[in-house]
Amino acid sequence: MCEKTITIEIDEQGNSSIDLHGFHGKGCGDVAEALRGKDTLVVDRKKREYHVPVSESRVVHNSTKG
Amino acid sequence: MSKYEVLRTVLSEERFLVEALRELGYSPKVSHEGMSLYGYLGDERPEKAQIVIRRRQLDSASNDIGFARDANGVYHALISEYDRGIGFNDAWLGRVAQAYKERQTMAIAKSKGYRFLGRQVVETPAGKKVQLRFAVR
Repeated sequence: MCEKTITIEIDEQGNSSIDLHGFHGKGCGDVAEALRGKDTLVVDRKKREYHVPVSESRVVHNSTKG
Repeated sequence: MSKYEVLRTVLSEERFLVEALRELGYSPKVSHEGMSLYGYLGDERPEKAQIVIRRRQLDSASNDIGFARDANGVYHALISEYDRGIGFNDAWLGRVAQAYKERQTMAIAKSKGYRFLGRQVVETPAGKKVQLRFAVR
């Protein structure tokens, strides 16, 4: 089973973007929400996994972006 | 006398702002009631702030830099015209925000039990980006 990983990039303006690997469906949104500070700007890009039901999650390649 | 200007930020957590300023090499003073800012001649200015970097930590002709909390709990930076001109400008505030966000992210990740995998600084055409990686069970 693949490990779930989170990569957060913070630019020189303090804006951050979150990249999730191994998460599926609502799990992506939950993690992004947890890491979103109440006071900072976050670029939240949903990957294809977000839209894939959990039952199909194993066929999704972890590096898929979207 | 160099006039102070108010620069808006989105930062609201004292702890992370103080840690970010320390990370950048300053020793900020904190007062919840607010402290007066002083000009480069030692003159007390009418502006007050809860977090202050005293001028001696800046340039020889600098004025204090302050971070004052507004009614919504958001900090505004008070920086003199002179100091903005010597580099304590929007770009400097951006680096403060970057260090702040890093501290905040590390604290949130720790509270969630995420395992820290590493930190990397990535050079991009838009400047340096701090990349933090975590594993989740």
